[in-house]
Amino acid sequence: MSSIVTVTNLEKHFKVYKHHRGFWGALRNLATREYTLVRAVDGISFEIQKGELVGYIGPNGAGKSTTIKMLAGLLVPSGGELWVNGRVPWKKRRRHVARIGAVFGQRTTLWWDLPVIESLDLLQHIYQIPPDRFRQNLAEFRELLELDPFLNTPVRSLSLGQRMRADICAALLHDPALLFLDEPTIGLDVIAKERMRQFIRHINSQRSVTVLLTTHDLSDVEKLCERVMIIDHGRLLFDGELASLRDRFGGQRELVVEFAEPYQDIAVDGAQAAEQDGRWAIYRFERNAVTASELIGRLSARYRIRDLSVREPDIESTVRRIYEERLLES
Amino acid sequence: MKATLDLYRRLIGVQIRSQLQYRAAFLTDLIGQGMATGIWFLSLALILQRFESIGGWSLGEVAFLYGTVETAFGTMDMIFSGFDPRFFGQQVRRGTFDQLLLRPVSITLQVLGSEFVLRRMGRIVQGVAILAVAVTLTDVRWTPLKLAYLPVVLTSLVCFFGGLFIIGSTITFWTIESIEVVNIFTYGGSELMSYPMHIYQEWMRRFFTYIVPAIFLNYYPALFILDKPDPFGLPPFAPFLAPAAGFGVLAAGLALWRFGIRHYQSTGS
Amino acid sequence: MRLFWELCKLAFRRQLTYRAATLAGLTTNFFFGLLRAALMAALYGTRQEVAGISLAAAVTFTGLTQATIGYLSLFSWYEVMNSVYTGDISSDLLKPMDYFLFWLAQDLGRAIVALLMRGLTMMAAYALIFDVVWPHGAAQWLALAVALALSWLVSFSWRFLINLAAFWTPGAQGVGRFIFGLSWFTSGFLMPLRFFPDWFQHLCNLTPFPAMINTVVEVYLGVLTSPKLIQALLGQALWAVILIGAGQLVLRAGVRRLVIQGG
Repeated sequence: MSSIVTVTNLEKHFKVYKHHRGFWGALRNLATREYTLVRAVDGISFEIQKGELVGYIGPNGAGKSTTIKMLAGLLVPSGGELWVNGRVPWKKRRRHVARIGAVFGQRTTLWWDLPVIESLDLLQHIYQIPPDRFRQNLAEFRELLELDPFLNTPVRSLSLGQRMRADICAALLHDPALLFLDEPTIGLDVIAKERMRQFIRHINSQRSVTVLLTTHDLSDVEKLCERVMIIDHGRLLFDGELASLRDRFGGQRELVVEFAEPYQDIAVDGAQAAEQDGRWAIYRFERNAVTASELIGRLSARYRIRDLSVREPDIESTVRRIYEERLLES
Repeated sequence: MKATLDLYRRLIGVQIRSQLQYRAAFLTDLIGQGMATGIWFLSLALILQRFESIGGWSLGEVAFLYGTVETAFGTMDMIFSGFDPRFFGQQVRRGTFDQLLLRPVSITLQVLGSEFVLRRMGRIVQGVAILAVAVTLTDVRWTPLKLAYLPVVLTSLVCFFGGLFIIGSTITFWTIESIEVVNIFTYGGSELMSYPMHIYQEWMRRFFTYIVPAIFLNYYPALFILDKPDPFGLPPFAPFLAPAAGFGVLAAGLALWRFGIRHYQSTGS
Repeated sequence: MRLFWELCKLAFRRQLTYRAATLAGLTTNFFFGLLRAALMAALYGTRQEVAGISLAAAVTFTGLTQATIGYLSLFSWYEVMNSVYTGDISSDLLKPMDYFLFWLAQDLGRAIVALLMRGLTMMAAYALIFDVVWPHGAAQWLALAVALALSWLVSFSWRFLINLAAFWTPGAQGVGRFIFGLSWFTSGFLMPLRFFPDWFQHLCNLTPFPAMINTVVEVYLGVLTSPKLIQALLGQALWAVILIGAGQLVLRAGVRRLVIQGG
């Protein structure tokens, strides 16, 4: 199989026990054990090929982290099949974990009190990385991630950006075939985000590391992923190219127009004038109702135009629309 | 096997180095740990000036019980601190335990290697000192068997307390409320074992004979080494059950631990 | 003044919510109480009374000491230390209230809850199992109340003082552990100080620790009669004054250091 991840009808159910309050409640807790079944992951299927950079998005509580935990081998599924690197993750934990890397935005994988370099050295022994390979990888990552300024600083003293860089270095030292990135740009400033994205692109293209990226930052997805999977309420709502997502659901486009003079009435057929300020106006039009060129034709027939540009909907608003309007519910 | 030991060595090396970082604080702690043990013993000695004996046992004899417990508990506390339910429970609650599952090495090894409290040496040294005093005061009639058996008793005690720690930590997978109860068995148990068992109420003694086999871990071996009669009429091999009791509790703990990890992987928290 | 009582009430309410911890603590206390009671009985052997304390009183002692653990926060109290290390102290010092009183108020709230929920409960449980000795007469109960209040004050001022070590060293917790451990033996916690040789008692009386536990115990068990009783209570008061004064001085020095060092 060239697919590195194969997921078939994956399910994960949690029993959430009803917790009664108070003294009599505590007794009831012991006696009855009523629970509700939470279907965190409710029948998901997908395949990821080697070398892909896939975005995995969904609202909070959608089942993203549950899926990742199962893929990483931390959690045992309730049903369905799951293969990563030709293995069942939780069954062969050690062998599985040796071939994957994971970075969790909220937590570090490094030792809190140790200088970064000592953590990395420990990891060399934990992953049994051959010394040459370790040195080579370390040298490359040190340069790409600019780790030298804080290589000898304890992890607890690092800024968030520095810690994330150290974490992603740590996750790749043992040459994993698959990398899970959970919120890798959270809390970073714009420049740091861009650097992180560059690095992710680099390891994906130059080192053929397959990347599964979960994030709330949709510009991450926009800038990095060609393929995106959307999960909500434990089900996969969309699995395909970002472009097709935009085509199908990025319904509204915008046309920004600078008129030659400030017209009073700027109405036009097929579009709605959303904003107007002096000579500037923003029209909104449905992708399916009228094409951009048609609209431009109509406008220039009625008004004198100095400049205009077409704005595509960003993925953020597109996805928000999908969640809110439940566009993918079958 | 070698790789495992090597990794363990490295992990505790990290712990030791960071503890030795603050020399002054470390020394204070070290002495403090030892002092608690020593002062307890002195208090007991002073008390016994007035009371003469504890349930018929002299200072030296009680010191033997106390010395074995302190030496073993200190050793256990140094090595098994990763499994101290208080710290382990915190790890689980904070979610940092997941980190251990993501590394391609034994989870047990990682937990053991996560803490190595060097300052417990203070307690160990004091424990050995008190044991030495006990042996002198009671004028033990040594035989090769007794000499060989003493280290076995100490090792069994370490396994016993270690097993209790592991059980306590495993329980935190299910609930964090239980830690205090576990403390009763570890810290309470160790204090209980510092005095001769026959002073306790019968139900307590039975509990610590048949349910938690503490009585076999230092009381009965003491009867053997100090040549004292058995007040409870157990079979003559009772003093030699220490390894069974100690390793038994450790084995039970490890079995529960493995079960606990599987449960954690099923429920995720 | 108002702020003082507000803080007190807040701490009181907060402590009330720690129900699970309280229950757990009580179970531990009870276990150790049983242990110590058995030890006491074994020590007494056939004796009916030692140093003016009957066996029943001695057993009561074992329960009493366990009952006061929570109340006096005997084993550990690192609140001030922690606030120094986390930096919270900077905002606390800006509050319109004397820093010592700030913590005193909170500890009072906590202590009252502990006294009621752990102290009284412990004694009640003990009464169910053992032949427990209670104070006789209104005068003794009054003296007990005074002794309890003073012992709390002494204990708090002492804990406060130790915590101030945090201004000078990051290893203050180790110092704390050391000293808390020391206070165990000299406070009369393990055994009534009367059981020890005279020279040891004199030594202990040079420290504030007996004022925390031993005095309360002796007042409760009625082994002190005036004028010894009045002397003991005055002794507690004296220690409280000394420790509070020392605390104020050290605090001022510590805050100066903090300000100079920049936290």
